[in-house]
Amino acid sequence: MATDFWTSTHYKQLLDQEEVDVVHSLDKERGITLEDFKLIKLHMTNYIARLAQNVKVRQRVVATAVTYMRRAYTRRSMTEYDPRLVAPTCLYLASKAEESTVQARLLVFYIKKLHSDEKYRYEIKEILEMEMKILEALNYYLVVFHPYRGLSQGLINDSYRMDLILIYPPHLIALACIYVVCMLKDKDNTAWFEQLRVDMNSVRIQS
Amino acid sequence: MEEEEPQKKMSNRGNNTGGGNNSNINSSNRPEWLQQYDLIGKIGEGTYGLVFLAKIKSNRSKSIAIKKFKQSKDGDGVSPTAIREIMLLREISHENVVKLVNVHINHMDMSLYLAFDYAEHDLYEIIRHHRDKVNQAINQYTVKSILWQLLNGLNYLHSNWIMHRDLKPSNILVMGDGEEQGVVKIADFGLARIYQAPLKALSDNGVVVTIWYRAPELLLGAKHYTSAVDMWAVGCIFAELLTLKPLFQGQEVKATPNPFQLDQLDKIFKVLGHPTVDKWPTLAHLPHWQSDQQHIQGHKYDSPGLYSVVHLSPKNPAYDLLSKMLEYDPRKRITAAQALEHDALVPSQPGEKIVNYPTRPVDTNTDFEGTTSLQPAQHASGNVSGAMGGPHVMPNRSVPRPMHMVGMQRMQQQSMAAYNIANQAGMGGAMNPGNIPMQRGVAAQPHQQQQQEGRNGDARISTTEIKAFLSLQQCIA
Repeated sequence: MATDFWTSTHYKQLLDQEEVDVVHSLDKERGITLEDFKLIKLHMTNYIARLAQNVKVRQRVVATAVTYMRRAYTRRSMTEYDPRLVAPTCLYLASKAEESTVQARLLVFYIKKLHSDEKYRYEIKEILEMEMKILEALNYYLVVFHPYRGLSQGLINDSYRMDLILIYPPHLIALACIYVVCMLKDKDNTAWFEQLRVDMNSVRIQS
Repeated sequence: MEEEEPQKKMSNRGNNTGGGNNSNINSSNRPEWLQQYDLIGKIGEGTYGLVFLAKIKSNRSKSIAIKKFKQSKDGDGVSPTAIREIMLLREISHENVVKLVNVHINHMDMSLYLAFDYAEHDLYEIIRHHRDKVNQAINQYTVKSILWQLLNGLNYLHSNWIMHRDLKPSNILVMGDGEEQGVVKIADFGLARIYQAPLKALSDNGVVVTIWYRAPELLLGAKHYTSAVDMWAVGCIFAELLTLKPLFQGQEVKATPNPFQLDQLDKIFKVLGHPTVDKWPTLAHLPHWQSDQQHIQGHKYDSPGLYSVVHLSPKNPAYDLLSKMLEYDPRKRITAAQALEHDALVPSQPGEKIVNYPTRPVDTNTDFEGTTSLQPAQHASGNVSGAMGGPHVMPNRSVPRPMHMVGMQRMQQQSMAAYNIANQAGMGGAMNPGNIPMQRGVAAQPHQQQQQEGRNGDARISTTEIKAFLSLQQCIA
């Protein structure tokens, strides 16, 4: 179902941390470590966010795009799928899925503006070809649930800097964010969290 | 990093072969996934692309409809229509919603294919058959069954916050021969979308709903609208099933990009009377109501004649249901969930006669590339063995097949008999594949009387039971 998380394909596809932290064999051969893998994904998360600011799409589109990118790399190698092309393509696809389409030529324009480095420069045609490959890599599952819905955005945006969205249901990510805020502000929230009867371990691990 | 290399190579390959998309494509050039199907021919065409009928090689009894999306020419990649359709249909699953069985991509020419379970009939063809061929109304029992199943699917969509936004007879499919015979399937989700927490006003999606089935709030330019637009369309379809004619057949002004269509509004007002701010308070805020006083507000029609148009007595529950679907104020319009509980959908006796609906015409001269061979297109009925037909031809395609309506799950098992069996009017003595006598209902009759009043009990029955029952019926016959 499209709007019930517990029956969604997003829920059915949640992974364990160990499944996400697997460097593709092709990438391993080229010497990419798990740390590199995580850093590249973090870097691409930032790249998507910066592109999104320029083409003016909402935060949810960014969150969906980052989720697509992170999901794609649970199945595909960075060797075959250059992150510098995958990142803008995921933003492009997410903008369609979230009903706020951005034109490919606009993306290409801002890619050139943001990066003088040749290696980032991809043309419209390459984005369109990659779009289909990403669709395939995602196994055509496009609906993503996010932990927003009225919560303050800053910390939640930060949650996309890791693979949390592939591992935890959105409400747990949202709770972890609240937990972190409480800790930072030195507020005792133990009672409140106990009432919620959630698995505090998963909340603490995320935090 | 040097990741570009493989990537660049791949795009080069695309370049070289993508251009080889000429008329003479033989099957060896086809991508691997395509080899699993036997193409029978083209069955439809739309703005999005082409629809083909195919058989799965490994399971010859299974027919598949393959929708091929055109490459977008203006460099916009996979069409948003295809994205919506894939996105929603990958998530949802309901017996009254069409089933997406596969998605295929041909990287060579960047085309996208969606494979669906094939449905032999649709309401457009069924209505046309009754109007132009048998010249006889669809019996009440069948109309009820179709309507109930349509509402059942729509209720599922709406409870998942999905609006269809393009309901019309040609998008309501009915399964032919096989396990699901007579089951209604809502199809074509190219305009459908999730409407929970939209990022932009829904009106940004441009014009939705084919003009004859378009709700008055859309015609009057509402920026935000609800799932009630689908219920208006269901009302129009319901009336069309009763009278075999589109209820509000307005002339479309194609030039205007906006949803405002004066003639369509005029057709509605003539039948339903003029809407008033009294009955529809938010009417005053709708852009076209405000801006076009002279035309819209100027015409005054106040003799509502819906019941005479659909030939129903105002006391008939069916009339009551229809008028609640065609309520002007979208907030007062009946919902799918409410409609399913309406008295008009209480089970009744099935009809006794059967109509054999013709099979879908198949253009066997068009291949997956959309290339047509030189022979004129042939139509399926009685004449499938065209150029490409050969071994793929199904021997019984030329014989119109009887259709049985199922659905109506809320009834108790015994009274299901009344619904599952033969229905339909017309064409007495028509053929059926095994020359089976069509009085399948007889055996079930004794159960009916005691169960007729049982509709308010906890009377839901599962699909499996329906299927089990159907196959039982077939065995008996």
